[in-house]
Order: sequence, then structure tokens, then C-alpha cells
Amino acid sequence: MIEILAQVFSAGTFTQMLRSATPVALAAMGGSMTEHAGIMNIGMDGMILMGALIGVLGSYMFGSAAAGVMAAVLFGILVGLFFALFVVKLRSDEFIIGCALNVFANGFTAYVSRSVFGFSGTSGYEIDYMQPIDIPVIGDIPFIGEILSGNTALVYITWILVLVMWAFVYRTPRGFYIRAAGEKPETLRTAGISPERMKWLASILCGMLCGLSGAYLSLGYLNGTFVEGMSASRGFIAFACVIFAAANPAKAYLAALMFGFFDAIGLRLQNYISSDLTSAIPYAITIIMMVYVVVSKERRRRSGRAAAKTSAAPPAEGAGT
Amino acid sequence: MKKLLALAMILVLALGLLAGCGETANDPGTETSGGSTTEEELSVYVVVSSTFGDRSFNDSALEGANKLAEEHSNVKVNSIECNNENFDAQMQNAADNADVVVCVGWEFYNVETIAPDYPDVHWIWVDNATGAPVENVLNITYAQNEGSFLVGYIAAAMSESGVIGAIGGEDSDTINDFIVGYKQGAQYYADENNTTITVETNYTNDYDDPAKGKECALALNDLGADVIFQIASKAGDGVFEAAEERGFYAIGVDSDQKYINPEVIICSMKKEVGNSIYEAVTQLLGGDDSLWGTTWETDLASGYVGVGYGEEDAVQQVSDELKAKVDELAEQIVSGDIVVDTVR
Repeated sequence: MIEILAQVFSAGTFTQMLRSATPVALAAMGGSMTEHAGIMNIGMDGMILMGALIGVLGSYMFGSAAAGVMAAVLFGILVGLFFALFVVKLRSDEFIIGCALNVFANGFTAYVSRSVFGFSGTSGYEIDYMQPIDIPVIGDIPFIGEILSGNTALVYITWILVLVMWAFVYRTPRGFYIRAAGEKPETLRTAGISPERMKWLASILCGMLCGLSGAYLSLGYLNGTFVEGMSASRGFIAFACVIFAAANPAKAYLAALMFGFFDAIGLRLQNYISSDLTSAIPYAITIIMMVYVVVSKERRRRSGRAAAKTSAAPPAEGAGT
Repeated sequence: MKKLLALAMILVLALGLLAGCGETANDPGTETSGGSTTEEELSVYVVVSSTFGDRSFNDSALEGANKLAEEHSNVKVNSIECNNENFDAQMQNAADNADVVVCVGWEFYNVETIAPDYPDVHWIWVDNATGAPVENVLNITYAQNEGSFLVGYIAAAMSESGVIGAIGGEDSDTINDFIVGYKQGAQYYADENNTTITVETNYTNDYDDPAKGKECALALNDLGADVIFQIASKAGDGVFEAAEERGFYAIGVDSDQKYINPEVIICSMKKEVGNSIYEAVTQLLGGDDSLWGTTWETDLASGYVGVGYGEEDAVQQVSDELKAKVDELAEQIVSGDIVVDTVR
């Protein structure tokens, strides 16, 4: 038993947690933006996939991983504009557009990757990728150092981005406008600010962050490898994180970490439990999380109503006397 | 306006589907190549369960078909990638236009019920066999357990830690058939040399996600495994990357994958899918369809399963001594002195 626990809670588990949480977290932060703006964005998986391809392409063309990441982010802007064009400007159903984006991404990436790299994909091509960064002092601490040090730059950038995005949403006027665009667009319009413009902004931010997520997947997580379908439903897990975190970027990161953790645990439990079951763990957790979100929301609503009743009671008594 | 938009969206969706899941014509050898031109055209459809680009199983099947097209000008090769869905519909799509349909992947169970609807089509099902023989279906199976026995022996011999690993794509009979053989081969080495060899395994549960493959390999390496056999298609790419990063050895699967990374891939367990398809269709072209209605069990003896060490000028980690020993073992398996377990 102790042996199992030691294996399950090894440093490897936590490094894997960090690695596999990062792409999900980046996409979830992007999804938080669109969620706040009142757009239900299920197209993140496609956005990640395109980001992964463009990252590899950029790195291949310019010979530097940083250029690849830049290319993926810039392309993400385009994808965000494309998404907003249909959802905001042409007012079509965001669910359908999200689906279309995912399907389109599959075909588009397969087509481009095969045209550029040929049938057998990126291997054999010199593609620059992100090197792990060793943090001097922290890296020497036994257990924690092993986890925190030696990750690629984007893992650390994600930490910074969590703070930046949180501050953006909750501490800047523009973040406030984005939230208003989702919650009460009429009010925002009365204040002289266009909710549509905020939705465009949110879509673009989402595209950029998903592009970054894809670039991390192909250039940071893997060593400059693009494989068709490599996003492997991470966009949907990111969407679950968005819902779970009520679109709070910081909470979304924690949710992504939780997914990464259960993913890592599942892999290490395979020797004891059937792998079919362990691979279902992250998805089972999703359902449990969703139930929790709904139940807690319901409870809050009820207690809110009760509070409203009690606060409404005194004046009624006063009126009686 | 709304209707127009809906129509446009449907078009976008349809286009996406076509791009992702469409047919591609591959006819490298046109009229100019050899072979008799007077014969009727033979349309061969290669239907793969996932996509091409795995540099192993699926690509090998297409190579075999393309080789046919190069040698026989009347053979036209088309391919369909199912992207892990709509197997039945894609089989029917292929059969509507084809004379020979090659279903590549153990997932095409329903060939058993669909094939009788197309009595004029010659079906080939690669990597699995119908429950009962179907008149116009040729099943080709591969004794992957025998080849895996050999690479298991090599892995055990090359391991310094005494721990070796195997990563499967999923927990299914075909994949486990590799693992059973691999474990037995490792055990054979341990018994022969009075050591203990531990075989650690895990499954990616995904054939397309190299990040998963990488994590699986790193987790096995954390347990001490220093030679890892990947049986996970494109997810296996991640295994090779992990091997390069951590400095352990990897073993390729299905095709001779040494060229992908000659520094870390010491050998590959080969399933000559392409050559077996080539052989079967060549027989058909010669007018002999006696194979159909049977299951062709290829193995070490027939040469469609074996160990590959890459091109001759590639870096070699496996010593000639060990290679000779492996050849010896192969002979013993062929002669029946060693019986390799199977889960089939």
C-alpha cells in the first residue's frame, strides 16, 4: 500500500500535473474571456489544434521556437476574429460555430501539415523547440525543486498570465466591460460602450490564449512535433474548467491543475486498476465537478432568497406597529 | 438571411468533413509503368480506422497498395481515413466503387455483415478475423506475439536496470498480444541468464496524442525502465521523445521505425502489413482468389513478422552477437521448440 502511495505521489506525478495542466489552463483562461462576454465557446479544441500546427510551422520557417509561439498567437488573433465575425457580427449560434470550428480545424491542420511536411508528419524536420529552464536555487530543493524547476518557459509564463488575466478581468475597466457585455449588455450600451466590441475583444483574447496553448503542446510539451488530432479533447476539458471556475482565470488554473493531477494519478494506478477505468478518471471528475457547481449554485440561490426574505421582514413588522 | 446563414454553416461543416475524412487518390504509377495494360481496371480501396501519418501500421498498408499500383498499371489505389468513426459507412462507401476493399485495423468487426451485401467485392481485413469464414473476405492476422517475443528478449538483454517497459495504445486483445509475447521473451532471457527482469506496462488509451505517450514513457522510466517498447501508433512519437530526453532506449512497432530516431530506437517489431496486402492482391490479379474465405495467419515462418534493425548504415546498439542469438530464437519459434503465448 505504502509502495503504491509512494509511486502515486512521486515528484513525477506532480511534474506531469504541471505539464499536462498548462495547455488546458491556457485555453481555459481564453475560454473565461468569452464566457464572461456571454459567448459559450466550445470551439477551443479546434483553436488549440490550429495553434499547435502554426507553432510548429512558425518554428520551422523562422528556425526559432519563440517565433513559432509568436506565429501561433498571431494566428490565434485571426481565429478569434473569424469566430467573432460569425458569432457577434452575423449573430449565428455560437454552439454551431464552435462545432464548425472544431471540425474545420481537423481538416485544415491535416491539409496544411500534409502539404508542408508530407504524409508522415514533422519528424525528420529540424524544428526548434523550447528547452527546459533550470531555476538555480529552487532547483536544488529535493522534492519541490524537481517539480518547479526544469519546465519550459511557457509553464512559467502561464503563471504570470494567470495573474495578469485575473487582474484584467476583475481590476480593470475593460475587464469590467467584458463582464458587463455578458451579464447586462443593455446597461453597458446605456453607458455608451458597445457590448459587441467587448465580445470581439474577448474572442480575440480567447484565440490568442488558445493559440498559445497549442504552441505549448507542440513546442513545449513535445519537441516540435505536430500530429493530426493532437489536441485530444483538451479544449473540452478546458471548457469544463471554465464552467467549474465560473470563468475566474485563477480558479480555472486550479481546475486545470486538478485535471492534470488526476490524469497523472490515473496513469500510475494502471498497474492496479484497469486502464479503461483510470483513463475515465478525468472525465468522471468533470461530471462530479459539474454536479458540484450546479448544486452549490442552487444552494447559494436558495440561501440568497432566504436572506432576502429575512432582510425584507423587519420593515414589514415596523409597518404593523 | 437566417436560412442563408444556416445553409452556409452546413456547407462549412460539410467541407470540413470532406477535408478531414475525405478520399485521396494515390496513383503514383500511371499508364507509363510496367504490367499489362489490356486487363480490366482493378480499383483498390484502402480504408484505415484512424488516419495516415503514423509511420507504421496504416502507412505500411498504403505503401503496399501503392507498390501494386506502381507495378500494375490497371490497379488504381484510393484511400479513406475513418478518423475513428463511421466505420460501416466508410466500408460501404469504399465498396460502392471498389473491386478490392482493404480494411486496415482490428476495429472493422462489421465487415462480417457488410461484405455479403457486396458479393462482387473482394474484401481484405487486416489484423483481425471474422468469427466465421465469409466467402469474399480474406482475413490477414499477424503473429505479433512471436515478433514481440524476440524484441522482449532484446530489451531484456539491453537493459541495465533489469526493468523494461511496454506502452500499449489501449487494453485490447491485439495490443495485449504484443505485450504477452514481449513479457515471455524477457522472461526467457531472465531464465537463461539467471537474472530477474521486471516488465512494467501502461496504456495511453489514445493513439493520436503524443503527449500522452510521452507521459507514459516518463512514468515507466521513473519506475526504472530503460528499454521501452511502444505499441501506440502516433502516440508512440512521444515515447521516442521521452527516450531522447531521458537517455533510454525505445523499440519501434509495425514498420522499421529506426530511421525516426536512430540514436534511441534500437530495433523494431515489424508487421509487414503492406507486403502481405501486396502479396494477396497480386495473387488475385493472377486469377487466384482461393485465399478469400479463409484466414491467412502470417507469422515468423512466413516472414511477415520479424525484427528490423534499420538501414544497414544506421547506428547499431544491438550487438551482432545478440542479433545472432535472436535469429537462433526465431528459428526455434518457427520449428515449434519455443511456443509463444497468445491472448487471441
